[in-house]
Amino acid sequence: MSIKVIAAKRKSQWRDFGWPLLYMSPALFFLVAFTYIPFLRSVWLSLFVTTPQGATARFNGISYYSRIFNLDGSGRTEYLKSILTTIYFALLVVPLAIAFALGLAQLATLKVKAIGFFRTIFTSSIAISVASASVIWALIYSPTTRATQWIIELLRLNSDSLLQHSGTALLAVAFMTTWTALGFNFIVTLAGIQAIPQELYESARLDGASGWKAFRFLTLPLLTPTLLFLIVINTIQCFQAFTQFNVLIGNEGPDGSTNVFVYSIFTAFWKDNRYGFASAMSVVLFLVLAAMTFIQFRVLDRRVHYQ
Amino acid sequence: MSASTAPTLHQIDPPRWGVGALVRSTLLYGLLGLVALLVVLPLLFAFSLALQGPTLSPQLLPDFGRLDWSSFGQVFREEPNLGRWIVNSFVVSLAVTLGQLVTSALAAYALAIMKFRGKIIFFFFFLGTLMIPWESTIIPNYLTVTRLGWKDSYQGLIAPFLASGFGIFLLRQYFLTIPYDLYEAAALDGCGYGRFLWSVLVPLSRPALATLAVYTFLNTWNQYYWPLLVIDSPQWRTTQIGITAFRSSEITVYNLQMASTIIVMLPTLILLVLGQRQLVRGLTEGALKG
Repeated sequence: MSIKVIAAKRKSQWRDFGWPLLYMSPALFFLVAFTYIPFLRSVWLSLFVTTPQGATARFNGISYYSRIFNLDGSGRTEYLKSILTTIYFALLVVPLAIAFALGLAQLATLKVKAIGFFRTIFTSSIAISVASASVIWALIYSPTTRATQWIIELLRLNSDSLLQHSGTALLAVAFMTTWTALGFNFIVTLAGIQAIPQELYESARLDGASGWKAFRFLTLPLLTPTLLFLIVINTIQCFQAFTQFNVLIGNEGPDGSTNVFVYSIFTAFWKDNRYGFASAMSVVLFLVLAAMTFIQFRVLDRRVHYQ
Repeated sequence: MSASTAPTLHQIDPPRWGVGALVRSTLLYGLLGLVALLVVLPLLFAFSLALQGPTLSPQLLPDFGRLDWSSFGQVFREEPNLGRWIVNSFVVSLAVTLGQLVTSALAAYALAIMKFRGKIIFFFFFLGTLMIPWESTIIPNYLTVTRLGWKDSYQGLIAPFLASGFGIFLLRQYFLTIPYDLYEAAALDGCGYGRFLWSVLVPLSRPALATLAVYTFLNTWNQYYWPLLVIDSPQWRTTQIGITAFRSSEITVYNLQMASTIIVMLPTLILLVLGQRQLVRGLTEGALKG
């Protein structure tokens, strides 16, 4: 091969590479600038004590990480507790959200006129932001409107609002979160149910299985991939929930009972300006989310009936 | 969602006439109506409070004889920035939506149609952004935007969201369904990369582009955390920050609070009614985004 040919080939290779690079460059630029570099900077910052302006002041090693998990013997369990609160929050929200979605989706498969209208209503919370929902629910839980006073009287709580009692605050936020997630969970479940072939129900009926039996032994097993998807998504969203805690509670809650992990990151970052420590927490959040997705897929995978 | 589905054997089962059918359908509609009522109860509650006038002790149900609709107009006078907040949200949401459409379409085009070395690396590079939750990047992003002097500005609200791994992935998947022959034929006719994208691929990919647009608009309109950080002055607030700040401000008049909340929910509710299919598709495909 002559030098000329090689040079021409190189040139065309470069041009082959040049066009795609040009087309990808805007996306590359923004994703590098606002996702990858910041993420690496979070990891970097997490190893330093920072100034209130966010500059690194002193190398700190992994001591922030051992602080979060109380491995440094400082006895400060609040960060570990914050992670546990988040897990508890997810355990409250996810089963409830799935149960509601299944119920609504079953109703929405009824073959009656105007079912489309009801479906739109069941979907409506998709369009309502968590911030708007929080403002509304703040008034539902407010002692002034007396909308939830009956629960307080029923449980004989000695506080004005469900949000001010350490035993009920997280439950109240969880219930409100379930409502905001309702539309999405419903529509996904409905799509899953509609994807099940009608003939299966027909043959199940001939075998004497209908109603609850058909639901238990046909709908539910065939719906497991959909439900698995929803469990993962809802859990991840619970771990990222921030808006409702900031609007409804606005601090760590009564006796720290609603201090979920993202909120304690916010406190360290925004209120205390401890950028290094907050970065370490946000890296932990990244690891927790990644691990959780992985574990959930592995554990639940065994019980999933793929058709 | 269409109300009528093709009739199946299922449908023929229940009795169609007589008392039995009547009782059955009454029960079903009663159940559906009750559940629907429970689902929208918080919204009805918001409406109820908005229509009760400036009372400090609102009832659960308004006095239907004296519904006070004035709160929807009054809230614009009491909170003169409300109009500005709505404009801000529209500007930011439209800019982010348009930006993501452009950057995603260009990158997805390169990944789906063009042939080059190391494509798989770029693909995973884009896909990898989905693994990084927004919360893990927020502190450096905040520091950067502050250093650039972008607090209280549109660029501060818009720039971090102008590209998304999800958008690229969604459009790439769609572009791949379009036969490669089409590109080869166009290239033979002397159609360049740019013109093929603009006059063939974009018109053919309208469903995917609409899905991405509706999904991005909704998400941006509903953003809370980021605007909370980068906005200090009242006139730069977006609607979500506005209504929540309104709540904690000195004007704790419930009817105005609820009126403003309902007003800022309208655009997304309209979007739901008009673009439900796109929205649902976008949400289900985008939900995996961290």
